[in-house]
Amino acid sequence: MSKVYFSTWRGEQINNIGKPEEEWEVSAYNLPADYNEHAHSKAFIGWDGVALFNPDVDVVRLATEYAAQYQVYSEACGRCAPGRWGGRILYDLLDKIARGEGAVSDMEHLKEVSKTMQETSKCEIGKTVPTPLLDLMHHFEAEFMACIETQKPSKHYHMEDTNYIAKITAPCMDACPAHVDIPAYIEGVRDLRFDDSLMATRQTMPLAHTCGRVCPHPCETECRRTNLDEPISIMELKRLGADYETDHGFGFFHPYEQKASIGKKVAVIGSGPAGLTGAYYLALDGIDVDVYEELPVLGGEVAVGVPEYRMPIDRYNQDIEAVRDLGVKFITNTRVNADMMRQFESDYDAVLIATGTRISKKVYCDNERPEIEGYWGAIDMLDQVNLFVKYGIGEDTDLTGKTVVCVGGGFTSMDVVRCSIRANAKKVVMLYRRDEKTIIKNTTYEEYHEAVEEGVEFIFHSAAARMNDENDVLKSLLVDRFELVPDPNGGRPNLEKIEGASFELECDYLIPAVSQSADLKLIPEEWEIERTSWATIKTNGKDYMTSRKGVFAAGDCEYGPMTIVNAVGQAKRAASVISRYVVNGEITLLDDEIMEDHLRKLKVYDKKEKVTGWLPGLPREHSDVLTADERKYNNKEVKYGFTQSQAIAEAERCMRCYYIAMVAH
Amino acid sequence: MINFTINNQPVTAVKGETILQAARKAGFYIPTMCYLEKTMPCASCRLCVVETNVTDGFILSCQTPPTQGLAVTIDSDRLQTERTNIMRMYDVNHPLECGVCDKSGACDLQNKTLEFHIDAQHFTAKEQPRKIEHWGLINYDPSLCILCEKCVHVCNEIIGDDAITLQFGGYKSAVIPKNSEKLDCTFCGECIAVCPVGALVSSDFQYSANSWELSPVPATCAHCSAGCSLTYEVKHTSIATGSEERIYRVTNNFEYATLCGAGRFGFDYDIQASKDEAAFNKAVSALGNAKAIRFSSLITNEEALILQRLKETLGLKLFNEEARAYQSFMRAYGSISGKGAFGGTLDAISQSDAIIVLGGRITTDNPVVRYAMTTAARHNGAKVIYMHPIEDALLQNVVTQFVKYEAGSEEGVMAMLAKTLLADADIGDEFRAFFDGLDEGYLCAESNAGDEEFVRIEKSLRRAKRKTLVIGSDVLNHGRAENIARLAALIETYTDFSLVVVPQTANTIGVSLVCDLDRDENTAGVVGYNAEGEFVIGSFGNYDLAVPALNSQEGTFVSINHQVLPINVAIGFEGYCLNDIANALGLRRVNTVDYTALLPKEKGFNATPFDQLENFYGSLGEDNRGYMLENSEVEVNGTLETIETLPEFNGTVIYRCNPVNQFNAYTGRTAQLERDPALRGSAQFAAAARISDGDQVEIESNGTVHVRTFILDGELKGTIALSPTYDTEFGAMGENYRFEKIKIMRVGS
Repeated sequence: MSKVYFSTWRGEQINNIGKPEEEWEVSAYNLPADYNEHAHSKAFIGWDGVALFNPDVDVVRLATEYAAQYQVYSEACGRCAPGRWGGRILYDLLDKIARGEGAVSDMEHLKEVSKTMQETSKCEIGKTVPTPLLDLMHHFEAEFMACIETQKPSKHYHMEDTNYIAKITAPCMDACPAHVDIPAYIEGVRDLRFDDSLMATRQTMPLAHTCGRVCPHPCETECRRTNLDEPISIMELKRLGADYETDHGFGFFHPYEQKASIGKKVAVIGSGPAGLTGAYYLALDGIDVDVYEELPVLGGEVAVGVPEYRMPIDRYNQDIEAVRDLGVKFITNTRVNADMMRQFESDYDAVLIATGTRISKKVYCDNERPEIEGYWGAIDMLDQVNLFVKYGIGEDTDLTGKTVVCVGGGFTSMDVVRCSIRANAKKVVMLYRRDEKTIIKNTTYEEYHEAVEEGVEFIFHSAAARMNDENDVLKSLLVDRFELVPDPNGGRPNLEKIEGASFELECDYLIPAVSQSADLKLIPEEWEIERTSWATIKTNGKDYMTSRKGVFAAGDCEYGPMTIVNAVGQAKRAASVISRYVVNGEITLLDDEIMEDHLRKLKVYDKKEKVTGWLPGLPREHSDVLTADERKYNNKEVKYGFTQSQAIAEAERCMRCYYIAMVAH
Repeated sequence: MINFTINNQPVTAVKGETILQAARKAGFYIPTMCYLEKTMPCASCRLCVVETNVTDGFILSCQTPPTQGLAVTIDSDRLQTERTNIMRMYDVNHPLECGVCDKSGACDLQNKTLEFHIDAQHFTAKEQPRKIEHWGLINYDPSLCILCEKCVHVCNEIIGDDAITLQFGGYKSAVIPKNSEKLDCTFCGECIAVCPVGALVSSDFQYSANSWELSPVPATCAHCSAGCSLTYEVKHTSIATGSEERIYRVTNNFEYATLCGAGRFGFDYDIQASKDEAAFNKAVSALGNAKAIRFSSLITNEEALILQRLKETLGLKLFNEEARAYQSFMRAYGSISGKGAFGGTLDAISQSDAIIVLGGRITTDNPVVRYAMTTAARHNGAKVIYMHPIEDALLQNVVTQFVKYEAGSEEGVMAMLAKTLLADADIGDEFRAFFDGLDEGYLCAESNAGDEEFVRIEKSLRRAKRKTLVIGSDVLNHGRAENIARLAALIETYTDFSLVVVPQTANTIGVSLVCDLDRDENTAGVVGYNAEGEFVIGSFGNYDLAVPALNSQEGTFVSINHQVLPINVAIGFEGYCLNDIANALGLRRVNTVDYTALLPKEKGFNATPFDQLENFYGSLGEDNRGYMLENSEVEVNGTLETIETLPEFNGTVIYRCNPVNQFNAYTGRTAQLERDPALRGSAQFAAAARISDGDQVEIESNGTVHVRTFILDGELKGTIALSPTYDTEFGAMGENYRFEKIKIMRVGS
């Protein structure tokens, strides 16, 4: 809901012109009425309409500036004839009118060019740039005609009283927590320019191998192709660029040239996805980075949590090497404590905490005592499995003859049960409080079905009620069953225990994988760093600085256990803020970042939009998967990845849904 | 098979085919400005939009495959209106300099402007200043550029140079060199070929002629064994004399074929001579009295047949060690495979998803094999395994695994490779015993190709379905060539690999089929034909009698596709030719090409007379050039010999290898091609040979001594230097194994 003077956004027709302010009809959308804490917006103009927040907007100039942005933001365009020339013609004609030299025929030409652009352009920018311009020309025709008839400039034409801030986006880019330039990397695949593809990914996402494999791809949920048939297989297409670099033994294709050292130092605590990402972008900005890691190996949970069969370590190591390639120093086997943190404050210009959440939460059943043999935290279990499988550290995990029960429902619990199968367990059971549909929603369809194929037994609507032990050795679990009872008040149905349905489940291991919490012992108490209600480090979610100046936090230790791509997005932003902070001591966001946050609030994807200009019915490609028998008892990567022809066919389905949004303030 | 309709006519498409492709096959016309059949759709011009019964708005036919039952309309009024508007935009500010533009008369923009009846500038945009770029053999004028992206696509997807890119900038967009200030590429000139307007042009050709003044002479390139189709474009040089002609440029059917820089820019190697009767008589008597003729494979099949007839008539011997090595390689191959010719083709390479190349510097030996590999790498994601003692920087974006082996160890490497590829094949007990008996430890250690490399090869091939093995010419002149050939034949026979062998010279295969060759015993009484001899007849080297060069001759070649391809006379030749001498010695044919129909049927030639050979690509890319040789069956009686002790190449070693776009004495004397006569080596080589960059060095090999400049090449690694041969007297690669231990001495700097 936003207060507007006029809006055509997403087809709404709000016209408060001439009405007293208290009678203004409000917009149904979260439009960026306030640009930031210092500035109110005057107007917002974008692919789907225009909104004016006050009556004093020079609409002719606004239209001209929006058309000009199409020229400025040309990294995404200049790729098709109608867009390239059409965009220029639009700008030239609008500017001609705005400076008081227009002719009536220019209005006709504008409409004609607009139509050709809308019908034939390559990407959505070309197709949508004319949309708000035509809206303005239609609703404010008098103002355009006044410029033409009087041959005088528009009212603010010669005033520099307004900032015009534009931003390129796309539904998928907006949905991605790291805001990866997805259309660009898919275009790289379609054009067989795999280096360009990878460089587009690495603009905001250094872990291309990783997020080409184990990302839960929220982007695909907001892929505009869904409105036509099925979403693009966005995630897997990321692998093409990364594989190209690795397979041909190129160095590393960084997104832009690394800046020369600016003589500033930052300590990053933790070498997981957030730590690596922070280090990568800080190093690109010419900052010296030391990354501290408590484990003997780099990579955090993707290394010791995500199993080899989902994320082969040789590929993850490529992502890590890309970071090292920029001169980042890694210090392993070093658990940072409060004393070191105090020292870091003077040794470094800033500190980024990216320690993740590495404490397995309890399942909260009776007799849940860690000293019982057979009670095994998911993080510890996966550490043991992965350190041996991937690095040969420690001992192999052999569960032959054992029954393993995991309580969970998220990615970590899936890793636990599938690793247990690979460790030759006799029986593997997953207890989950809710139903099959929800477990798929919380993980992925593939993950769940692959686990089932491999022989994991899922018991839905169930929970562990008590651990039964003999002399501190786990013997069985008492399992309660639940059912969904509709809320008589029409709310969400409630889970209620079914009395008398509880049963005993013999087992050797109970592995809690319900969630993890952050271990924040490293933070000196006297710093009094603010925590969230779920005991993670608090920031404002925009600049990622903690309540202590110069100390930043990103990833799971800030957000709570979440996805890799979320950690990447946060750390990328934090690195950007830190790179300015270490120079001028100020906490600032770039206009691009401010716009990014505005657009996410507005939401770029519109699932009701009717897509035109594309043929529906071209099926989404699926890469081959090893059969259950081929993969069950080894750590071979389950997914082959696309063949080239699959990848190309999939890339050709992408509609390049780039849009330009602009705020005037 | 997908059934759909275009303008209510039923049309079918196969999976992977787009609406545009299906339409063209069915004879429908959809206009395009940026479409190139051999690359991914550029999708920039948007002219190919069509309407369908299930979509609102237009869809792009060049990148959309049809769905079952789709009804497509390709020519409604709405489409015509928008296409016309696009053409109006293309014409905004396009300089009106057609009068001096190279492309005028053959320009897609001109053609489409006329087609859409654009006779005025409907829209305007501000003019912008643009600078013409001079990139050596290529000039680029951004103000003429319509940014169709064809050049960028072809450079990356087909050639593999990936040397140009688009600088995105809306209206200011332009084509720029990628990752460098100046264009740094192999100068194949394919970007010029595909440019639909006059933006990318040959700097040599620019402003020299209009396309309608040039007479096209379709022919076949004579520089390597790929047998590329090309057209010499010829014009008289002056109105005053009228008679003198020269080749102004070479063009190619870029839609379906690709040409390298030597083919495109290395065309002016013709020589002139008058009928020097005295020299002719000397030649006739020299041949009449000769014991043998030594000749190069840089000749036509017809010349080869004349030489063969002379041998039969006069009882001469025929020396051509290079072709003889190829013959014995193929004989050994046939003894296992039962076939006279290997089964692979250039198309097979480009369609592969796995390629193994062993024993050749393929990028310079045969650029079109490289282009096929690039095509496979980009389009099919092919795994490309390159096995050679010297890494090739030009192949980095193609090769997925480089296997370095020691010079000389090819037989051992081939045995290990065959064992790897044949691991699951049903090859019978005898062959299995051979592989079981291999001393792998020794072979891997001595060849330096570790067993982990073969494990990786096996892994790379696991998902591959279409595989090709390419054998380069290093192997042909190897002491153990025949055993290597048998191993290659085993791979082709018992696996799904197809085999391609890349010989050194344009017509090595033709010569090997036509001539019955003798061992070159370096006897007295040898007449050279484009080769060394006491009396030399030829079109290069220090000849005693001039005969026409290959761009002044009619005749045929056999390419590595085993296709018999015609060449034609671009520039007339006034002197004598081999047929004249042969006739003087008792053969009786009016023209050289009278021998075309007489080429040996038992080797697969089919008696088509020269004048009936076609030489063009059809409108859908059908190759209507010459004809395909029939593959002959031969007796299977081969067995594998025990692998010999692997030879060692210690000390100072050179590899005979020409620089980019140089192949032979012909390319070496053309005006445009860069001549790099240097010995090129790594810092490691320089240190071992105690020479440094820029030194004059004396190289002693095989008892002969020559002097070259040494250049330190940062792209090279290892201890072997690259030594060109195109600039030697006869420009030949030589008959010996290409790696050679030499003595080297600094003689100046």
